[in-house]
Amino acid sequence: MTLLLRLALRNLVRNARRTLLTTTVIVAAIGVLILGEGFISGVEDNIIISAEDASVGHLTVRPADYPADLGQYPVDALLDISPDQRAYLNGEATAWTARTLFQPTVIAGEDWVRARGIGYDPATDAGVFPRRLWSIEGRAPASPGDEILIAPGIASLLNLDVGQSVVLQLRTHEGAINALDVKVAGIVTTTNASLDMAGLFAPRELVARLIASSKPSHISLRLRHRDAIDEVAPRLKARFGERTELISWRSETAELLRLQGIRRRALQLLVFVLMALAAFGITNTILMAAHERVREVGTLQALGMPRHRVLQMFLVEGAIMGVFGSLLGAAWGGGLVGHWSLTPIDFSAYTQDVRMDAFSFSVLIYTHFEWSVVLTAIAFGSLISVLASVYPAQVASRMAPADAVRAD
Amino acid sequence: MALCELEGITKTYGEGPTRVDALKDVDLRVEAGEFTVLSGPSGSGKTTLLNQIGCLDRPTSGTLRIDGVDTSQLGNLALSKLRADKIGFIFQSFNLVPVLTALENVELALQLAGQSAHIRERARAMFPQVGLEGLQARRPNQLSGGQQQRVAIARALVKEPAVVIADEPTANLDSENGEQILSLMQELNARLGTTFLISTHDPRVMAHARRRIEMEDGRIVKDTLSQSPAP
Repeated sequence: MTLLLRLALRNLVRNARRTLLTTTVIVAAIGVLILGEGFISGVEDNIIISAEDASVGHLTVRPADYPADLGQYPVDALLDISPDQRAYLNGEATAWTARTLFQPTVIAGEDWVRARGIGYDPATDAGVFPRRLWSIEGRAPASPGDEILIAPGIASLLNLDVGQSVVLQLRTHEGAINALDVKVAGIVTTTNASLDMAGLFAPRELVARLIASSKPSHISLRLRHRDAIDEVAPRLKARFGERTELISWRSETAELLRLQGIRRRALQLLVFVLMALAAFGITNTILMAAHERVREVGTLQALGMPRHRVLQMFLVEGAIMGVFGSLLGAAWGGGLVGHWSLTPIDFSAYTQDVRMDAFSFSVLIYTHFEWSVVLTAIAFGSLISVLASVYPAQVASRMAPADAVRAD
Repeated sequence: MALCELEGITKTYGEGPTRVDALKDVDLRVEAGEFTVLSGPSGSGKTTLLNQIGCLDRPTSGTLRIDGVDTSQLGNLALSKLRADKIGFIFQSFNLVPVLTALENVELALQLAGQSAHIRERARAMFPQVGLEGLQARRPNQLSGGQQQRVAIARALVKEPAVVIADEPTANLDSENGEQILSLMQELNARLGTTFLISTHDPRVMAHARRRIEMEDGRIVKDTLSQSPAP
């Protein structure tokens, strides 16, 4: 094997430019595979975590037929939470919180904008909706108090700074028009594109006065594990009855994840095309090598090299290109994925002019690094390279030595 | 027992109107230690005959025995093993492996023969014998034609084969180098007792041979022993 390896290596170096070109395609294919997979998996994580951390937790109870999908957050149908239900929630969830979603008009002088209001419980909200990536310019609102947090999008549209006052206007639980002067305690960047565009956070005590009801519109739960929803959902539904509906991180993300599935298939197609090009390149390279080295092959056969070792020699050449190219591809693809799994890519610049309120999605994308993907890609690249070498290696091994030794 | 024994060897290429009978019912015995030259015009069958004896090709019919082994009974793998163990080759175009150094080219013959003991020392020891001391580390493209052919001779002889087959070994050399190569082969034949079977058009080569076999139209037409070959 040492002899075959030495011959293969030196022959590859002999045609360094051709070897390099062929290997480059493998490097590109494997790099793109790992990078694409890491990015798509990272976006999937992002979608799921955004739903969990900023939208529905693991499970959310809300009034039946709630029209959030239409971008509406009505307060005419709210939830009653009985002491029994509270006790049940305390036992079932690792954390739970009540939220009141509302849709105020934020008025600053002559300007106004419609916001996506979230009334939160300062004591329990972070247990379900962790604020890992939040940064607040200013401070969190005092509760009780007439203070709110607004999104950078609202601050920008209304030219607001921390400490300024605005009027919140909306219809109460019973349909009357209500308005309240509130102070902007802080401008919060959550990295969630939707919330950073139109989000408004107010303590539920303040929201209760605005809508004239202390009842929440949503109850969100954090479970011991996200997949526990299958087990918990039927019990939760039984406790809250027919006039409510359940949404989970899974149902909330299903559509976006389906889109991701399409992207993944597109990536697979791209990688397939690149690998086909790489395989074609390897076949071509080894075939050219076989035809250029007819006399050399004949000489080796005359010296006693059996056909199967001639075959192995050319397979080793393909394998070296495959392994080397796959390792290099894994190094750059895996390196970038690994880097971006620790330091996220900031897509906020690309979302500023896009309506993102229909999506719960962080503008900071962490790629998803998995050794199994890297190792599988290396094995895949190497295997394809060896398979692509089989035909030209067979051509070389089937040469008739009597003719080959005297070839020009 | 003869070292190489051919009985009724024929070799036919093609069929019908394109059929060519390259060898026609050839009988030949080559004894151990002979220095034999095959001569004849182009197309007379010299190379085809060497291909048969070198087990690079199979006859259409007839029997070939090398060192007592009937080659018609052997598969490709066994033929490879027979070539590796018993047959050394010297080619007109030298046929060194270009990516290996001169020393590695000589080692190659031992490696392919499955030998593993003292390969480097044995290969290195061949270089003074062929007059190439100090050139072991050179690649073939750094050697002259004469030097390359000496490396090829070293490669053929290092495994101590039963027979060395040389196909036009001086054809690509100038007269001085050709003469030196011939003298070297003759000296090694005398000193080591290695059997040489050489095809050639070169009258100088024929002059060096003790036994001369002339071929024409695929047949041996003359087989003569000389008592006093050129020194």
